[in-house]
Amino acid sequence: MMKAFSTAATGMTGQQMLVDVIANNLANVNTTGFKRSQINFQDLLYVTLKEPGTEVASGINSPSGTEFGSGVYAASTVKVFTAGELENTGRPLDIAISGGGFIQVTTPSGDLRYTRDGSLQTNANGELVTTTGYAIEPAISIPTDAASVSIEKDGGVNVMDSSGTQSVVGTLQLARFPNASGLSSEGDNLLSETPASGTPTTGTAGENGFGTILAGFLEKSNVQMVTELVNLINAQRAYEINSRAIRAGDDMLRTASQIVR
Amino acid sequence: MKMSLISEQVSTSIDALTREFNIVTHNLANVSTVGYKRQCNAFSKSLGTQDPQSYSPGTIELNSTLDFSQGGVTQTGRPLDFALYGKGLFVIETPDGPLYTRNGTFLTNQNNQVVDSLGRIVAGQAGPITVPNNTDLSLLSVTGDGSISAGGAAIGKFRLVDFPDDQNKLVPAGDSCYWMPDVNIAPVPAEQVVVRQGYQEASNVKIVDELVDMILVSRLYEANMKSLSAERDASGSLMNVAMG
Repeated sequence: MMKAFSTAATGMTGQQMLVDVIANNLANVNTTGFKRSQINFQDLLYVTLKEPGTEVASGINSPSGTEFGSGVYAASTVKVFTAGELENTGRPLDIAISGGGFIQVTTPSGDLRYTRDGSLQTNANGELVTTTGYAIEPAISIPTDAASVSIEKDGGVNVMDSSGTQSVVGTLQLARFPNASGLSSEGDNLLSETPASGTPTTGTAGENGFGTILAGFLEKSNVQMVTELVNLINAQRAYEINSRAIRAGDDMLRTASQIVR
Repeated sequence: MKMSLISEQVSTSIDALTREFNIVTHNLANVSTVGYKRQCNAFSKSLGTQDPQSYSPGTIELNSTLDFSQGGVTQTGRPLDFALYGKGLFVIETPDGPLYTRNGTFLTNQNNQVVDSLGRIVAGQAGPITVPNNTDLSLLSVTGDGSISAGGAAIGKFRLVDFPDDQNKLVPAGDSCYWMPDVNIAPVPAEQVVVRQGYQEASNVKIVDELVDMILVSRLYEANMKSLSAERDASGSLMNVAMG
């Protein structure tokens, strides 16, 4: 009987984690470049009392066995890297990547991070930085006398000075990973490399697999409100039902304890 | 004094009902587990059909069989989520031999190989399936028979197997996988199965059925307990008469 309690408890814990994941997805429904997470449940180990095919009488094999499962656990959460909608902002330094590449960012400590959030800005020194103020890698500086800036499909950053002369001041490099779902989320829209993600390949936008850069657009979150809400209802009901199972078990135990008066 | 037949029968039933209750809770805990196949236990339902004349304690055959019926298919849009429709299983390579699963939530590892969510290699017809390094996952497409191509170039085919006559001999191994304990039974290539990309097969646990089963089990449990206390009262009265 106690086993049933812990089995149902794993169900409740699992559904609780699902609600946590859904809540985070919903909270980030307007976060630029956010990728929704999906939780993967798997069944826990089984206690096998009798294996299928056990000889129950001479020459007769049991057609099936007797196994009890121990419940469920969340094996992993996977980031779903489907494309988000592109929103036209018209801002020349907003870029969206149509494809699988990431923008590379250097943190103040000198580590490389990766992001899909292309709302770039310039800092006091004219360098291109993310909203958090981290410099993009390789560093690109916009001259102070630039009258306008435009970013090309291949990541080339063009500036035009006040006299109308155009020049290329740098090219954005993109990185891509064998397993983007293996990247670790660092907050601030940043992701970092892990042994699971594999080592990044860097290259220019437009090349195979990196995707193209669209200036004047931002990639919105790929969270679908309706899908998340439907999942939320399912999770809530499943939680409730697992708690019912615990109550039913409790009732059964009470019946048993009433035998002895 | 010989313990009465009723007490023996009741304790056997209670044992079986407790086990069945464990199975029901396990099914309910896995109502959101992708590719999960419910365990069935027909003990409570078989009680009504037992011939009381032939019923004797200790003969309750409690077998937990797996119900391999199709689960619902939900869309995720992830290029590496696969649902199987029909009879068949994916093969997962492990150091201890192959495991079989209906959970097609796959990823790629650092070597670009297709793996399951625990990082174990998913078997292709010709070894692991490797996605070319310069291919975006959104360019992967998979046909109904499990052939995978990346941007038009074939890169492999899932190994899909079936145990036409021996499916009920598969043993759940946890982590959404099954294994075949009988080394003499070899899987055959699955023919009646379709692979759907961007979908997951939901758990085939039906909440209502499990709840009905749960109520049935707890009521039968209660009834058995009642008959046990009635038996005790009766034998108590008998003792009182005999002992004065």
